[in-house]
Amino acid sequence: MNQMNSIFRLEGVSRQYGDVAALDGINFEASNNEYISLLGPSGSGKTSLLRVIAGFEKPDSGRVWFEGRDITDVPAHERGIGFVFQNFALFPHLTVFENVAFGLRNGIKEVPQDEITSRVFEAIEMVGLAGLEDRGTEQISGGQKQRVALARTLVMQPRLVLLDEPLGALDANLRDRMQTELRAIREKLDVTFLHVTGSETEALAMGDTVAVLDAGKVIQSGNSSEIYDAPASPDVALFLNRFNLFDGVATGTTFRGPFGQVATPVVRKASRDVYAIRYDRVQVFNMGDAIPGPALDARYVASEYLGSSIMYFFEAADGKTVEAEHHLSFGDPQDYKVGQHYVLSWDPAQAIVFGQEGAE
Amino acid sequence: MSDTTAPKGKLKSATPWLIAPGVVWMILFLVAPIVMIIYVSFWTQSTFSIDSTLTLASWKNFFSSEAYVGALWTTIRLWLIVLFLTFIIGYPAALFVGLLVKSKTVSTVLLVLCVIPFWTSFLIRVLAWRPMLGKEGAINIILMKAGIIAQPIEVLLFSELSVVIGMTQIYVVFMVGPIAFMLGRIDRNIIEAARDLGAGFGRIFWKIILPLSMPGVVVGAIFVSVMVLGEFATSGALSGRKVNLLGNIIVTQVGSLKWAMASVVGVILTVLLGIVVAGFLRIVDLKREL
Amino acid sequence: MESKILKPILAVYVGLFLLFLYGPFFVLGTLSFQQGPEGGPQFPIIEWSTYWYRHLFGMVPPSRIAPLPVGEALIRSLTLAFMTMVTATVLGVMAAQAFRKRFRGAGVVFYLIVLGMMVPGVLTGLGTSLLANNVLGIERHWWTTAFVAHVVYTFPFAFLVMLAILNRFDGSVEEASWSLGVSPIRTFRKVTFPLIFPGVLSAMLFAFTLSFDEFPRTLFASGRDQTLPLAIYGTFSVEIHPNIFAFGVMTTLFSFALLAVYGILMGLSVRRAKKQAMQEDIA
Repeated sequence: MNQMNSIFRLEGVSRQYGDVAALDGINFEASNNEYISLLGPSGSGKTSLLRVIAGFEKPDSGRVWFEGRDITDVPAHERGIGFVFQNFALFPHLTVFENVAFGLRNGIKEVPQDEITSRVFEAIEMVGLAGLEDRGTEQISGGQKQRVALARTLVMQPRLVLLDEPLGALDANLRDRMQTELRAIREKLDVTFLHVTGSETEALAMGDTVAVLDAGKVIQSGNSSEIYDAPASPDVALFLNRFNLFDGVATGTTFRGPFGQVATPVVRKASRDVYAIRYDRVQVFNMGDAIPGPALDARYVASEYLGSSIMYFFEAADGKTVEAEHHLSFGDPQDYKVGQHYVLSWDPAQAIVFGQEGAE
Repeated sequence: MSDTTAPKGKLKSATPWLIAPGVVWMILFLVAPIVMIIYVSFWTQSTFSIDSTLTLASWKNFFSSEAYVGALWTTIRLWLIVLFLTFIIGYPAALFVGLLVKSKTVSTVLLVLCVIPFWTSFLIRVLAWRPMLGKEGAINIILMKAGIIAQPIEVLLFSELSVVIGMTQIYVVFMVGPIAFMLGRIDRNIIEAARDLGAGFGRIFWKIILPLSMPGVVVGAIFVSVMVLGEFATSGALSGRKVNLLGNIIVTQVGSLKWAMASVVGVILTVLLGIVVAGFLRIVDLKREL
Repeated sequence: MESKILKPILAVYVGLFLLFLYGPFFVLGTLSFQQGPEGGPQFPIIEWSTYWYRHLFGMVPPSRIAPLPVGEALIRSLTLAFMTMVTATVLGVMAAQAFRKRFRGAGVVFYLIVLGMMVPGVLTGLGTSLLANNVLGIERHWWTTAFVAHVVYTFPFAFLVMLAILNRFDGSVEEASWSLGVSPIRTFRKVTFPLIFPGVLSAMLFAFTLSFDEFPRTLFASGRDQTLPLAIYGTFSVEIHPNIFAFGVMTTLFSFALLAVYGILMGLSVRRAKKQAMQEDIA
């Protein structure tokens, strides 16, 4: 990554709570003016990571760099890094206007009154809350609260904004709308968003860059299609929730799993042998069809529409659920009979195979 | 909030600055005075002055005087009686307020009613027992008018009885409060379940309600004990100087500038308190219960 | 089944219990209207009068009964209670604020503070006067030795009240403030303090009333100028007169006035928010 373009950098950041390592030697660098999603299951340390960057907590070891400056020992209020909380954390005793004006009024740098007024109105306008300036924080909806929280942060013109599951407290409809808006707002400003989420859909949809965090470590980062097409480990594949994962035995060139023995062009190095095939690569055949590649006997259980695609759920002989996704743009959905057995197959070249003896 | 442990790093922490004034204050004006009491109890007392030559004279003096040792026993006796009475009188009231009243509002109103008397000066509340209990007091007048007694009961005032009545009335609320609080936290479903299994109220009370309210009883007992053991005003006002508690001895000794003897009594009172409170804390592990 | 009988029985019992608590109170209120100056502090009421109230304010011709020395004592008590209230609340808020973070020795510090309300007044009073009299050799005054003893007593109450309030306080608003570039001290003033203000009021109320009525510590530590409870205590050994009951009624009314002020201040902070809300709804 280009050093000039880097906004912040973590060097071996560790943070321990009692015996549990929330952050375990994290190295991460983010480039300027980007939307970064940080994906991790609960307990992966993603909130701790944000809190360390924001300065609410000190790392036990490691350094935090921001705009080329080591800020590890700089207190939170001198960092100039914005933070948007999952629970909004609005000031309940202040109006919407005063919430947004709070940082300008009380910050270290004196801001003239008319500049405060114009900047606050501008920020409120930008998040689409014009007209609600005099409301109390209890008189607005959850989505509006989130916008106030965002306006309050953006009015300070930070170069980096940390968002801690900002959409977690909103209902599904609102979440989709806010996703689009968050991206749009960010693109208008010269600012980096670091957005923490436990939802892989959200992470992949929003991030220019997606970083996957597990057990206090960044296990993969890259742009969303990189992550999507080439998860670096079985764990990443698991978190993405886009892959059927099969245990088995990988030798140098083949993989033996519940679907038989299949030739594998590439085996990636991993801590265990796992065969991963994306949901939308799985094809469904009737019993008795001639199948060239891997063949997995599975019982059809149910289906579910996901807007532009339909998801079929099958149960394999070992009781494991196997999912097949069919994009509606590729044709009409099939009707399968519940309880009936089918054969699932795929092109082995599209599988991602992890093995203890793999390359890399 | 609670998940943020103190940062180990170099970020400047405000904690020492926030805590220091209070700690210094308590060490200078609470710990040091108590240490002083222990120290001065070994000083040499002459008629009107005292010097820091160490001696056991005052201690020997205390234990060889019938009046002083008697005061110790009186204190313990009165404490036990008042503790027992506050528990016996307070528990049923707490049971009603904390458990039987279904409406939160009624329960709060009752508790507030219990606390309101505290807004009158403590000393005046004590004093108000005099016209209640005296020979021509309210109780005697009512009893005589009702024809229950022919002669006024004289033992009501200026006796150990009046001190016990006065103290019980003043301190019973400190027993009711904690017990009602603990009873209020009992899950009503447990009691319903026990009832469904055919348990009678007596059984439910002994097996469920009383054990679950024990932490409240212990906290109440600690409150009452600490206050009764350190008492001297009620006994002074209502006993006509017939009842002398350790507290009364301290007051009179200081009044006649016998600092060493006052300190001896102070140390004995401290030890007694320590034993009582430690004893109660052994019954129930408050840290776990609360 | 049993509880159907038990409940009404206990309801009657609680009625009697309250009578027990309030009995002396009624007697006191009634006797304060005894005729004066001949009427004594006992029944029956010879004639209803407000003599003893007027006696209290020096509005009756001098008689053999000396007026209560309330004037100066009242001012001293109020001043002392105010000083105590401010000091105890400041110490309490600071200590409770520190307890939001875990720190080494927190347990010891907690017990040290709570000890102040657990040690009987007669001991703190004795110890403080020993320290002043025999070690430092300074004179005892209500505004020095008694004041520090009062704070030792009331600081734990203020501390516990604030601890309970801060336990329920969501710290993320403070972090939000820091992330907007506002220093921790200014954050405390502009965010934390306004939000915990109701708790601070309660702590102040506790400290003020406890100090105003404090007696055993004051007895030992206050030196020659009397506070109000000491003036009342002075009447214990001598003959009492209904003026002390009239005074009791007055102090109770004063306490209620204080409670009312507390209630109004509490109500105002809630009302302000509500009023704003209503105007918005109309608009």
